[in-house]
Amino acid sequence: MTFLSALLAAAEHAPAATKAAAAPAAHDAPAAAAHGPVDTIIQLFGSFGVDGPHLLIQLINFTILAFVLYRFAIKPALGQMEERNRLIEKGLADAQAATQRLAEAQKASDAKLNAASDEAAKILADARNAAKAAVEAAKAEAAAAQTEVIAKAKAAIEADRVKMLAEVRGEVSRLVVETAAKVLEQNLDDATRGRLNEAAVKQLAR
Amino acid sequence: MSAASVRAEAKRLLALSLEGGVVSSELVGAVLAALTKSRSAHQLRPLLRAYLTNVRRELARGEARIEHAGPLSPADADAIAAHFAKALGRPVRPVARRNDALLAGFRVRVADDVTDLSASLRLANLAKSLS
Repeated sequence: MTFLSALLAAAEHAPAATKAAAAPAAHDAPAAAAHGPVDTIIQLFGSFGVDGPHLLIQLINFTILAFVLYRFAIKPALGQMEERNRLIEKGLADAQAATQRLAEAQKASDAKLNAASDEAAKILADARNAAKAAVEAAKAEAAAAQTEVIAKAKAAIEADRVKMLAEVRGEVSRLVVETAAKVLEQNLDDATRGRLNEAAVKQLAR
Repeated sequence: MSAASVRAEAKRLLALSLEGGVVSSELVGAVLAALTKSRSAHQLRPLLRAYLTNVRRELARGEARIEHAGPLSPADADAIAAHFAKALGRPVRPVARRNDALLAGFRVRVADDVTDLSASLRLANLAKSLS
């Protein structure tokens, strides 16, 4: 467009220049006056070595070439580039999402790890407390059982002692009485027994 | 006859055999003679057995069976019997028997009552109190 506007601007300035140059060449004036601005432009291009038909053909060729290039090369390339860009953006987005998910997973795993650690610490503390309580209970039970066993043993010993004393006392009593009876039986004569009988009769009478 | 009627009949016969609260041999003989005439043999046997038990019990109620160690004078035996006759309110006669196992003193049994004033009993009580 700039090139075309430059050509038009040059075409507008060209009559003045041709008027200045047409004075000496007055015989060419009728011929120049018979041509329009397009012819002037064509002539101007011609003076620059540009051939109109060739230019038109080249423009057509260029247009066809541009169309073909655009249709079969640039457009697929642009499409592939856009697809590539889209894939790259998708990959980047996926990578970012994966990074985010990884961070979230890491965070979740850290949280779970911390929770598991807290839970393990709590379970360990509970187990220690339970073990301590069980040990204390076992100690108390053992102490109670020991006390009970000692009390039973003392009671059994005391019962055995009392029983043994009673047996000894009974045996001694029996021996004493038997001995006394034998002594009395051997030493009591009829006279003594008669006196004792009389005393018993008097006791009965009372 | 049922057992109850036999016991009642024997009790009645025993009452007929007492004379002044004491079993009389003559009355017992008369009762037996009357029984042998009036009762058949199979009725007589349980009745005589019950009558004999009652007579023995009544005789035992009127006896003071005295077991004594060493000599016991008849006067002492009579004194013992008199004591129990006075206590029981019926005549009691003494029946003495020597038993030196009593060591000294005597043991008197009147019916089911036993009075023991022997040395052996005192020694037994001593042994019991010591054991």
